[in-house]
Amino acid sequence: MDWEGKVNAVQEPGKGMHAEHTASLHLPAPTVWPMVLGLGITLIAAGLVTNETISVLGLVLSSMAAVGWFRNVLPREKQEQITVPVSAEAAAQASAQPFRSPHTPVLVRPAYSFVSGIEAGLAGGAAMAIIAIVFSWIKFHSLWYGINLLAAGSFIGWTDAPDSFLSQFHPQGLLAALAIHALVSVLVGLLYGAMLPIFPRKSLLTAGLIAPLLWSALACSMMKVVSPILSERMNWWWFVLSQVAYGLVAGAVINLRVKVRSAEFQALPFATRAGLHTDAKIGKDEGRR
Amino acid sequence: MMPPQTAGAMTFDSPPSHPKLWLDAVNEWFTTVDHKRIGMLYIGYALVFLLIAGLEAAVMRIQLAVPNNHFVSPQVFNRMFTMHGTTMVFFVGMPILFGFGNYLIPLMIGARDMAFPRLNAFSFWISAFGGLLLYFSFIGGDGLYGAGTAPDVGWFAYAPLTAKLFSPGHSTDYWILGVFLSGIGSVGTALNIVTTIVCMRCKGMTMARMPLLPWLYLVTSAMVFIAIGPLTAAQMMLGFDRFLGAHFFDVQAGGSAVLWMHFFWIFGHPEVYILVLPAFAFANEIIPVFSRKPIFGYSAMVGATVLIGFISLGVWAHHMFTVGLGPAGNTFFTLATMIISVPTGIKIFNWLATLWGGKIRFATPMIFSIAFLFQFLIAGLTGIMLSAAPFDWQLGNSYFVVAHFHFVLVGAILYMIFAAFYYWFPKMSGKMLSETLGKWHFWLFTIGFHLTFDFMHIPGLMGMPRRIYTYEADRGWAVWNMIESIGMIFQAAAILIFVWNVVRSYRHGEEAGPDPWDAWTLEWSTASPPPHYNFAEEPVVHSRRPLWDLKHPQAPDSDYE
Ligand SMILES: [Cu+2]
Repeated sequence: MDWEGKVNAVQEPGKGMHAEHTASLHLPAPTVWPMVLGLGITLIAAGLVTNETISVLGLVLSSMAAVGWFRNVLPREKQEQITVPVSAEAAAQASAQPFRSPHTPVLVRPAYSFVSGIEAGLAGGAAMAIIAIVFSWIKFHSLWYGINLLAAGSFIGWTDAPDSFLSQFHPQGLLAALAIHALVSVLVGLLYGAMLPIFPRKSLLTAGLIAPLLWSALACSMMKVVSPILSERMNWWWFVLSQVAYGLVAGAVINLRVKVRSAEFQALPFATRAGLHTDAKIGKDEGRR
Repeated sequence: MMPPQTAGAMTFDSPPSHPKLWLDAVNEWFTTVDHKRIGMLYIGYALVFLLIAGLEAAVMRIQLAVPNNHFVSPQVFNRMFTMHGTTMVFFVGMPILFGFGNYLIPLMIGARDMAFPRLNAFSFWISAFGGLLLYFSFIGGDGLYGAGTAPDVGWFAYAPLTAKLFSPGHSTDYWILGVFLSGIGSVGTALNIVTTIVCMRCKGMTMARMPLLPWLYLVTSAMVFIAIGPLTAAQMMLGFDRFLGAHFFDVQAGGSAVLWMHFFWIFGHPEVYILVLPAFAFANEIIPVFSRKPIFGYSAMVGATVLIGFISLGVWAHHMFTVGLGPAGNTFFTLATMIISVPTGIKIFNWLATLWGGKIRFATPMIFSIAFLFQFLIAGLTGIMLSAAPFDWQLGNSYFVVAHFHFVLVGAILYMIFAAFYYWFPKMSGKMLSETLGKWHFWLFTIGFHLTFDFMHIPGLMGMPRRIYTYEADRGWAVWNMIESIGMIFQAAAILIFVWNVVRSYRHGEEAGPDPWDAWTLEWSTASPPPHYNFAEEPVVHSRRPLWDLKHPQAPDSDYE
């Protein structure tokens, strides 16, 4: 008996409704905080036409409600479990594939790990460096142009240096560029390591295109302040390309570690993916209160 | 020797659980996030305000029944029409329609709840508290230490009457804040409805198989997003004027009073369609079931609805012809308004075609729907008359306009709300409403409605302005006003019968069973009232009428779609 059979059973009460199998499902648990928030905001407004103390009371109530509401949904939405009568087939189906409630412990390591972020950053940084060197070779027949250009931001004397100067090897340039590049690469790698598990769907698109484009746009707008020489002489097409290379490699490294593209991972609850919640806690504090 | 013992036994026996049960019930309703309960909260709240705003209308009709009357003071009269209009639009119309939407949409699309259950509760409560704040103005309108007064600037609160100079005290501030809060709730619920419809349809329910009610609510909710913004913005600007001394609407300081009119009607006209589309939605569900035929022209209905939604965003200045918009403005807004009659006409033809050749059952929901068709047609015709700018110059702000929009708001919207009530009350309560009392309700209300609002056109044509406090006997308006006021008595009697019907049927009504009307949409496939979880197993649908398919496996709709 499927859903359609069930309807007929409902329409003829007494037939087929008892001796039923059951399944359990979850619905959001009742909570008083939405009402308290409504009351709080109303009192804030009412204070404008009565007395300031009413507004203060409203503000207090609203803050309490905001915290209460937050805790109602994070790290995990509070739910109540309900047992419902279902047809034999549905029950058999449910027992064949064990029902996975959000309360069942899931054996996955917490998604967020510093190590994978650092690794991703370094690997991505290397990919980016290769693109930068290719760019230098094609445009200036020099391995060092890109490196010196990045370093130029930290040497005041280099601000008006000619291209020929930037095409030569300078040890202090290499050291400064390495430091800047490693630091930024690792920081962004950590960001990727945190972000991809939270938004695992379309991770290739996020890591390989959207993030690099956003990052490039951000860099474009800030570069004039951070390093005027870089913003003047940089080739933006190549810059975006190097960002994409960084994103793809960093994303691939994180995927190797965390398997964000697997279906199992994507089925994990948001709180687990975001690292707000580790496995140990799942299974406790069920339902309301 | 007996009394102490029995007393002791009594206190012990009489279960202490009684007060606790009551508190439990209150607690359940205050903390619920179930769309059905929130829907019923919306509807119950709106019905209470319907009675209050109806009383305010009654006060006005008594005041205007005879010339030179002083039943209430002019000040009270102003408060009555302001609160009547504001309440009916923001605290009756919006909540009752959102209430039905909340209750019905998840059931009709085979979902277990709305997309954002907690936002849903918040939206209800903030709207509800907004209404209470508005009515608190009767006690605290002048500020807590003065005598209270309610807002008295009319429901569209034109500038510069709302400036601090002309409206001292806090009465207008109560209007701003109460309506502002209800606007937050409206946007929240609209967001919820759109997300629910887009994301939570059950297996097999494509957009093209969705019942028309959710379709129309989708368009209504989209319009709420667009319309409420300008109103809220204008109210904040007015608040700045009044609290901080800004000059947005202060003409003498370089502000503009016409700016307020634009802002208000950019909200106000779409608002009419926000209220009427759900009424159309009820008609789309009820008329086919009681004609025993599927709706005629499903896709045309959807298309017409979307068109109405779009066009209604571009007609607002027909409320402002008397401002003097110039030839270009007059022409544009006259034509735009007239064009709305095309998709509206398509709808009326589709309903008639659904009735045509059907096996019509004249149950109470159906007779309200049929009256709706006629009355909405008349409302549309006077609307087209008023859309012609020169005609409007004559009759703008007269009782003709009042009669016109009451044909829309009462003759169309309230009638369909009654129809919806008779149709879905069995689903919500498990009990049928009494058909006999329903027929009494219908006929008394219809007689009263036509006595009041048919005859209201006449003094309007004779030049009686709206919002007038009283009038001289030699104007020739007296007879018509007396007839209108007598109509009010019939309407009040009908409403009392309705309330009695609801109370009595809830207690002793006939059991409804899951599907009392032999209907076709998913809400009738589950028990009445539906369990908390709506459907034990997620429904799967194959056509627009899933229950028809189940009841007629030999000739399912799915063969023809
Ligand atoms: Cu209009």
